Amino acid sequence: MGEEEKAEEKPEEKEKFTLHFPNENNLAIIAVIAGVIVSILPVLPAFVKGIGAILVILWGADSVRKTARYGLGTGVPSIGVLAMGYGIVGGVTGIVIGSVPALGGGGIVEPGVLVGVVAVGVVGYISGILANNEKFIGMKIPGLERGMAELGMAGALAVIIESSMIAGTWNAAVVIPEIIETGVIALIFILAAFGMLQPFNSCLGADERRGRTLLVSVEIGGLNCIIFGVLASLIQGMAQGVPLIALGAITWVLFYSAYVRACLNEAHSVVGTGLIKTMR
Amino acid sequence: MEPIVMVFAWTMVVIVLAFIACLFEDLESDEGSQSNPNSQVQLAPEMGYIHRYYNKAISGEGLSYALACTIAGTVAWAMLSTGITPLIAIPFGAGIGSLVHMIRATIPHLGRESAHKRFEQPIYLDVFFGHLVPIATHNFMAVVCITAIAYIQSPSGPLAAITGLPVAANNPFPLPLLCFIWGITVGAIGSSTGDIHYGTERLFQDRPFGEGRRVVYHGQICRYADCGIRTSKDVVAFCAKYGGPATGLTFGLIVLFENWRTLIGMMAGGLTGGSWSPGVAAGVGIVIGLIIAVALTVGNLYLVKWARKKFGPFVGE
Repeated sequence: MGEEEKAEEKPEEKEKFTLHFPNENNLAIIAVIAGVIVSILPVLPAFVKGIGAILVILWGADSVRKTARYGLGTGVPSIGVLAMGYGIVGGVTGIVIGSVPALGGGGIVEPGVLVGVVAVGVVGYISGILANNEKFIGMKIPGLERGMAELGMAGALAVIIESSMIAGTWNAAVVIPEIIETGVIALIFILAAFGMLQPFNSCLGADERRGRTLLVSVEIGGLNCIIFGVLASLIQGMAQGVPLIALGAITWVLFYSAYVRACLNEAHSVVGTGLIKTMR
Repeated sequence: MEPIVMVFAWTMVVIVLAFIACLFEDLESDEGSQSNPNSQVQLAPEMGYIHRYYNKAISGEGLSYALACTIAGTVAWAMLSTGITPLIAIPFGAGIGSLVHMIRATIPHLGRESAHKRFEQPIYLDVFFGHLVPIATHNFMAVVCITAIAYIQSPSGPLAAITGLPVAANNPFPLPLLCFIWGITVGAIGSSTGDIHYGTERLFQDRPFGEGRRVVYHGQICRYADCGIRTSKDVVAFCAKYGGPATGLTFGLIVLFENWRTLIGMMAGGLTGGSWSPGVAAGVGIVIGLIIAVALTVGNLYLVKWARKKFGPFVGE
């Protein structure tokens, strides 16, 4: 009885608008499975690819957070750009190799594209070893090897999925004239890079919380889906573009408002206006 | 008209647009303490200096401008490909880019100030809402100029329409990619040139000038304005007098010198027909570029020496 009364008297805890994101390992597994399924099946509709892209970017943002939280301040954007630099190399490699008919190019299931993803993962892991090992640069950042491998793979998957969202397939015969020669590849680069680099860069601080930071990544993923949806409607037609825009709009509104509410609830205080605290 | 005259004319247009773009880019970054000075604004609450600055850490200026300009360029490119006139497509694209930029700017202020909970930094809603429209408008001015430059240079733009030039004079890059490259460039120049004026002259106004900031001062920023408590908007009004135009001038001069030496080289190589020699064009261009670089270096060294003699000596000299 007494305990119950005590529980009632407790001041009501501020509600935390937290999506219970899976832990780092589970999130990586979910994102890899979703990313691989979406990239080897280019026949899927664009909005399903959009879900895959959001998950992959979320994984990239989590990797950036994991790699950069040991005191990289201005380095956070650089890590995100590095990820997409790997991503462009691995993605284009995968697109070209995957389009070879002997490796399943042109069929319904096209697994050849994963060669680029795996290759860039290996390159990322080696660069992580080179950066961390005392014989070479000796940065000694915990988990850098895994982080670099994950960033490269997330970047490559993002490039492949987003190319196929816009063009309908990632086949090199379509992607090279529609995406690369028109310069849309620059848009893919910068939008996916922002999904990975901005969340941690914008939320870092002493009281940063993973659940809040990752909301930004999903929000950017939604915004990306809106922009890519407009391009997909131009290139593939409304039937592919409009569901993608709808998915993006719903995701963006939900996660943006969840993020804003989370910030306002968890800040020290929110005031309409006010003076600053006088020094000591 | 002579093709080379037309090329010079369009180059002048590009230079003026570059000047305006970088001017507004610098002021926009000061609007929310982006880039280098942001580290001091971020550090201030940890040192006990609760402030009313806007904490706009979207990422480096180069990347955030690459984002806004690439979106603007892609929207403009999509509209141009459906036959809409550039006079509508370019401002419309820039508007979309600025809108996305403004949305991105809301994230870091909320995120970073709420991550300062233990240092008792509140979120001031008037600071938050009051800065959004100035951020978007300054950004629009920069992005519309950059998109216009990229359109002038793009394969469908007026430079490519000038006939009678060697094929090498046309660039092969499409509009979105040009916007991406120009966006990174304008952000980089605005970050490297303009931030000094904001950082050392405004955030550390109460410290001796010209000696660099010692580590003990870090985070101890100037929080009071001429009247009342300073927000980032007061910084813009200050930087608009010198820092912004100086940054714009830097970018404009870079574009001017770079294009001028290339064009003089092209003229020396002979413009059309059988007399066109790429080797002579490149060689003359490189020699003029080296002369410009040496002249600028000597001039800058002289300027620094003169300033140190006149205003020094500084601590550590």
